[in-house]
Amino acid sequence: MQFDLTVLLPHLGVLRDGAILTAQACALALAGSVVTGALVAMASTSASKPLRRAADIYVDIFRNVPFIVQMFFFYFGLPVLGLYIDAFTTGVVALSIAGGAFTSNVIRSGILAIDPGVIEAAQVFGLHKRTVFLKIVMPIALRTSIRPLGAVLVNLILTSSILSTITLNELTGSAKIVASDTFRPFEVYFVLLVVYAVLTWSVSLAIGALHRRLNRDIVEVVS
Amino acid sequence: MIKIEGVRKVFNGVTVLDHIDLKVEKGEVVSILGSSGSGKSTLLRCINGLEKLDGGSISVDGFDVARPKELAEARKRSATVFQLFNLYPHMTAVQNLMLAPVEVLKVPKAKAEADARALLASVGLSERADAYPAQLSGGQRQRVGIARALAVNPSYLLLDEVTSALDPEMTAEVLRILARLADEGTTMVFVTHEVEFARTISSRVVFLEKGRLLVDLPTTEFFADDGGLANPRVRQFLSNMSKG
Repeated sequence: MQFDLTVLLPHLGVLRDGAILTAQACALALAGSVVTGALVAMASTSASKPLRRAADIYVDIFRNVPFIVQMFFFYFGLPVLGLYIDAFTTGVVALSIAGGAFTSNVIRSGILAIDPGVIEAAQVFGLHKRTVFLKIVMPIALRTSIRPLGAVLVNLILTSSILSTITLNELTGSAKIVASDTFRPFEVYFVLLVVYAVLTWSVSLAIGALHRRLNRDIVEVVS
Repeated sequence: MIKIEGVRKVFNGVTVLDHIDLKVEKGEVVSILGSSGSGKSTLLRCINGLEKLDGGSISVDGFDVARPKELAEARKRSATVFQLFNLYPHMTAVQNLMLAPVEVLKVPKAKAEADARALLASVGLSERADAYPAQLSGGQRQRVGIARALAVNPSYLLLDEVTSALDPEMTAEVLRILARLADEGTTMVFVTHEVEFARTISSRVVFLEKGRLLVDLPTTEFFADDGGLANPRVRQFLSNMSKG
């Protein structure tokens, strides 16, 4: 067997475009799933029973159905109802919704770990509910949940490879094309492996840095 | 004026506050004494709206704490210092002080920060203004807690066993500041176990027992043999406290 990466040189453009598409989809989906997760976590810790119930149902549905099935439903199922959404948007939305189910649980546990006295203090000083959530609850919850959140986000990047099944030529999709054009699957998928590892590793590094920044008052203890 | 009329509070069938009547006028320092479980802290939590009343009413300067719209006004007039400090852990001391003035009272940030630093200096913490709560000692945290309460210029300062979590040296640190505030005419409702301190700073002492208000007397009368001490339960409580 020979290992010759130079055979990929003419195809670098395709792979690069795929990598950029993956990075864009993931960046949007990371933001989308954190925002979705925060909103669902807020619902699941609210005083209103119907809101808590709705949050539970959401999490149960999207955690217990394979991601590929959810995505097929959005991409191939919804057009039957007259709803046509392009592959990129479908992919980002599906990742955000599915990711949100996982991030919401992580953020929820961060919220439940907050000393209730701290929230009471904010309340008696007359802070508006929304201000309490944005300035007290979320920042403190993120301090404790940023690391497990990072694990969910890395998983999201890995899951994004499934977007190739709805005609989106992101990194994995482009790699498949290059592999069948060159008949050199070993080199192609070796590169793919390295690129995904670099992508997820940089997210892990960023999460670590964010964790240290959010916990800078106790950083010696937790880093 | 804080006006408490016929207040009742029940937790799981246990009556914690039983028809409490109490008035606190501006300029008064009212200490609330009583053994653990007598309802002292619950009474304070009713005044700042953290507990819902099961009967009676409480108003702060005429604003009824049971009505959500009026509660916001009532809360602007009082500030609470907590037993376990309850500082915002992700903010520095100065940020802890600035939050309510900026968000609730709409004080411009630069002014709020200058005020906050001046207040921290007044409790001896100018050097530690940019430290986070986790980097402060218990006594320092409680001094931040007091400064945070003063930052909103409250008409009434509510203090909930503010020295119970502190060692004697840190307790002295905090009590010195409270004595100064009392001298300056700050209105305080002071739930405490520090009987001797209550005696020196209060204008009035209230004694709670099993959710009932047993005694409400000016301080000198409360500690007089023919005043508060005539009540056997008060006498027993004070002698237990002095033994401890």
